[in-house]
Amino acid sequence: MYRFVEHTAELEVELEAESAEGVLEEALRAFGELTGPARGEPVEEPIDLEATDLPALLAAWLDQLVFLADTEGLVPESADISVSGTRATGVVRGRRGKPRPLVKAVTLHRLRFGRRDGAWRGRVVLDV
Amino acid sequence: MSARADMRVPARIFADDEILDEIADDLSLEQLQNVATLPGVVGAAIAMPDIHQGYGFPVGGVAATELPDGVVSPGGVGYDINCGVRLLALPLLESELGDRREALVHEISRSVPAGAGKRGVLHLRGTSLDDVLRDGPRALPNVRAEDIERTESEGRLEGADPSAVSERAHVRGRDQLGTMGSGNHFVEVQAVEEVLDAGAADAYGLREGQVTMLIHSGSRGLGHQVCTDYVRLMDGRLASYRIHLPDRQLACAPASSPEGRQYLGAMAAAANFAWANRQAIADGVRRAIAVVLGQDVAERTHQVYDVAHNVAKVEEHGGMRVCVHRKGATRAFPAGSEEIPEAYRDVGQPVFIPGSMGTASFVLAGEPGSMERSFGTTCHGAGRRLSRTAARKRIHGNELRRELEARGIVVRCPSPKGLAEEAPFAYKDVDRVVRVVEQAGLARRVARLVPLGVVKG
Repeated sequence: MYRFVEHTAELEVELEAESAEGVLEEALRAFGELTGPARGEPVEEPIDLEATDLPALLAAWLDQLVFLADTEGLVPESADISVSGTRATGVVRGRRGKPRPLVKAVTLHRLRFGRRDGAWRGRVVLDV
Repeated sequence: MSARADMRVPARIFADDEILDEIADDLSLEQLQNVATLPGVVGAAIAMPDIHQGYGFPVGGVAATELPDGVVSPGGVGYDINCGVRLLALPLLESELGDRREALVHEISRSVPAGAGKRGVLHLRGTSLDDVLRDGPRALPNVRAEDIERTESEGRLEGADPSAVSERAHVRGRDQLGTMGSGNHFVEVQAVEEVLDAGAADAYGLREGQVTMLIHSGSRGLGHQVCTDYVRLMDGRLASYRIHLPDRQLACAPASSPEGRQYLGAMAAAANFAWANRQAIADGVRRAIAVVLGQDVAERTHQVYDVAHNVAKVEEHGGMRVCVHRKGATRAFPAGSEEIPEAYRDVGQPVFIPGSMGTASFVLAGEPGSMERSFGTTCHGAGRRLSRTAARKRIHGNELRRELEARGIVVRCPSPKGLAEEAPFAYKDVDRVVRVVEQAGLARRVARLVPLGVVKG
């Protein structure tokens, strides 16, 4: 599950899933909603991210999606990813297109990612 | 506002009652208090009247840290490093432009790629990206000496280090030179509606009725990536410098540390890229002018000035060497400063304050009060008041386009959604913001500009 909470000049995304991987997949879906759909050729990109802690891993994951959208025109649709400690590996799948360049960057402001109240939850503020 | 125990300096805000009311319910003031906790911060954490909630620093925030060991914070500059504005003045009046207005706006939309990710017009012909990062507009072919002279810091920050700019940032910047970007970036065709300071307007080459062009853009994906890279790097090193912060986005390092020095080198490179970007956009605007109004008009279109409103600079204030972070704030040095072009030295540095689309923009001149009260700084724009969704809920892009066109403003924008998000009512009243900085003695009004047409990213 993902939910947008809008501030004056940026966008907060709240995420919830049953696993750490699920939260990253929800973040991908939220990002995909912001970029809009694409109908170009299917693309698959390998992922290997390491961060200092779990919240930073969530930010690094979205950083990667912003980078791929900006440089490859990749609109992400799904991911096959596994999280071990503060490392995420796997692949992201999507299509090439003209993603709406709404998300400029991923901030560390109010950043959260962890297990709380029986679920995995994340929160991230995007610069839009 | 009451002080918090972790604040090292007071928080100071330039505002009137209405502006204070507008930010009462958001995190702007708390964010300003957070800035006041940064190691090495001096004087006060300052907010301009166009303040609004950001992340880490509020937008419209100013913080100076004492060198060499005060911190530099990439979030205190922002993601769009050296986002800024450039004003061109055409050698003709609105009445002389007449019915060629629409053709001119249309031609600008063809010659300046708008949306993010589109191929840059220059493709760095014969110039490497690293040359641009080192030298800014000077690295581009056929740049007029006068344009360079009339650019803040002459379009080149010292110490730019292309090797501190990551490969990812290089990849993002490679094809984006000469593109406007999306969001609130634009090229606006304007007319000088009113001259408020005849002496300064004369020095800047502006007169009533004159046609001007305001260019608003920044360092594109390259700058975003530089900021991202260094926020991440410094966030990971906070413990080693024993820095405790109320917000991770304020991640910082001593300016004298390896991380601090690297960031300053990368930030200077991104700032130089942004100046080159606005130069390339100005070239595109001049090409459009040549097509619609003739080569002679294009050649006699002069640059008034170019200012940065997201940058950190090493400056002297009160006998101290400081790193002044301006995030959504503009340098506004007064008359006499050697940092400003000789032609403007008797009247003060020009500052441009874009209003929201369809309202007005201002040309200001820096005043001595800025040196006494705000580290030589004034505001940068109207300041956002409503979120993008809230703006879209109030008006559809096509309806807004009709409203603007009914008022004689020609609009070119690739996305109705994007247009609605930038509706005039989504921003504070620019006249009010400018009045506050004038009353505070930070800058004075020189001219009020009204839009004739706008090309949005």
